[in-house]
Amino acid sequence: MYLTQSEEKALAGEYGEPLEIAYRVLLAIGRLGNAERLIPIKWAHVSGVSYLTIGDYGSDFLQRISKIKGTKFKVFTTVNPCGMDVENWDRLEIPPEYAEKQLKIISAYQKLGIANSFTCVPFQSYPVPAKGTHVSWAESSAAIYANSILNLRTNRESAVSALASALTGKTVYSDLHIDANRKPKFAIRVKFSSRRRLIGSVDYGILGYFAGKVTGGVIEFQGINSGMNLSESKALCAAVGTVGSSGMFTFGRSKDLECMDFTEKEYSNTFEEISDAKDGDAIVFGCPQMTIEELYQLSKDLIGKHFKKRCIVFCSSKVYDLARSRGYAGGIEKAGATFVRDSCADFTPLISSLKVSSVLTDSAKGAHYMKRVHGMKIALKDTKTILEQNLN
Amino acid sequence: MKNAQEPKSFNAIRPRIARVRCIVEASRVIEGEVLFSSSPIAFLQGVDPEKGIVSEKQHEIYNKPFANKILVFPNTVGSSVGAYVIYRLKENRVAPRAMINQVSDIITASGCALSAIPLFDLPNSKISELSKTKEIKIEKNSQIIVRS
Repeated sequence: MYLTQSEEKALAGEYGEPLEIAYRVLLAIGRLGNAERLIPIKWAHVSGVSYLTIGDYGSDFLQRISKIKGTKFKVFTTVNPCGMDVENWDRLEIPPEYAEKQLKIISAYQKLGIANSFTCVPFQSYPVPAKGTHVSWAESSAAIYANSILNLRTNRESAVSALASALTGKTVYSDLHIDANRKPKFAIRVKFSSRRRLIGSVDYGILGYFAGKVTGGVIEFQGINSGMNLSESKALCAAVGTVGSSGMFTFGRSKDLECMDFTEKEYSNTFEEISDAKDGDAIVFGCPQMTIEELYQLSKDLIGKHFKKRCIVFCSSKVYDLARSRGYAGGIEKAGATFVRDSCADFTPLISSLKVSSVLTDSAKGAHYMKRVHGMKIALKDTKTILEQNLN
Repeated sequence: MKNAQEPKSFNAIRPRIARVRCIVEASRVIEGEVLFSSSPIAFLQGVDPEKGIVSEKQHEIYNKPFANKILVFPNTVGSSVGAYVIYRLKENRVAPRAMINQVSDIITASGCALSAIPLFDLPNSKISELSKTKEIKIEKNSQIIVRS
């Protein structure tokens, strides 16, 4: 792989150990993908923030790097949600030993220089660059959203490779950064016999979960309206990323692609695979984290109502602050829901501490991880149904 | 390469040369005994980074120390946090001298890159050909010398 003179110097350690390591990581990943060079990026999004995901091993590395004098992220960098609401953890059933370890990770990232929000939907809170811009995003749901909805270019980065991108401001020029590789290789044709249409985050989550499992390349969805709303596209991207390795989808009607049908049968098989309970003891909204549009809708639906069971709402602190200033957050809290800011339903110890064995959610991705990480039974239902059945 | 010793004399009776693809290069000549596994390794939860061994009881190289060995295995499986476990092995000075995969993956590659552990894979030959190999010497980053 070709490196410029200054990249070679960095690799040789002339600009310090963190950059030496970061370039070694980019070079190794570039060689895996037979890349010819590195390219500059405008935005890095780094995963590996919750202590539940990176543990002591990741934490110790980050702390060590962040303490080396002069080590700073070179480009605009956002990071994934952490494992708790940083300002409210002690009131939210987070064990103090966990909190202490989580705070060390947060402080390491803050020393390196990150935007002031922990989020898996970074495109909600920060201005999205022009179409075609190269970025380096870990967090599969965000990377797929970047490629498929925002027309940015990124590979599905790992925690380590996105960290290397943040430190260097560069990524490997390979795969989805190159035009020729962004063409679909496989089609999923939505073909319902009745007049039923896909609608809402559950339907799109089920489609994404099915599609992610059957192919790892760029997917072309056929027979659905590309004008889906933000909740639907967010759910689709998250579910595609949960299973398998696809990093992008398109919409179209190509005739020459290998194609698989998604009929009522595939829909119900996939639903049954994800949803293994009729009802849940607690409600979890916000996987991926809720957007301001979703909080607005929720606040409207909750006027004059009250939840019959525990309801947890995950969103970033930035979106929460906006929702509070517009009055949505107050309305949602008045209905008995609890906000957890800057955290993740899948990787917070809060879910295990709820003392429930089943969860109601509208998220296929959330269902997948809450089942595996927290041993929950899952009832997958759309928001409207959850509200109809669980409000006084 | 703080934990690498000076190379011993390499008495190759019938040395063979195998071509490799370099993922993380070696900055000096490396040689060592082979620790061979035909099955993949999960570094997170499958390896004890304090002891430097595979800790899964059913694994074919369970409890065999990595230190000073050339670790040959097909690829890494499991969590991507495995990359940080490889780094921890190196910090604890119980990491292998080098690793050789069949086809390297992003976890092994980023873990070895973080830790400056030389890593190679074998696009043109089967990893099973190394199953009886006793020692490997790496002089250049494009080939290894194999002694059975």
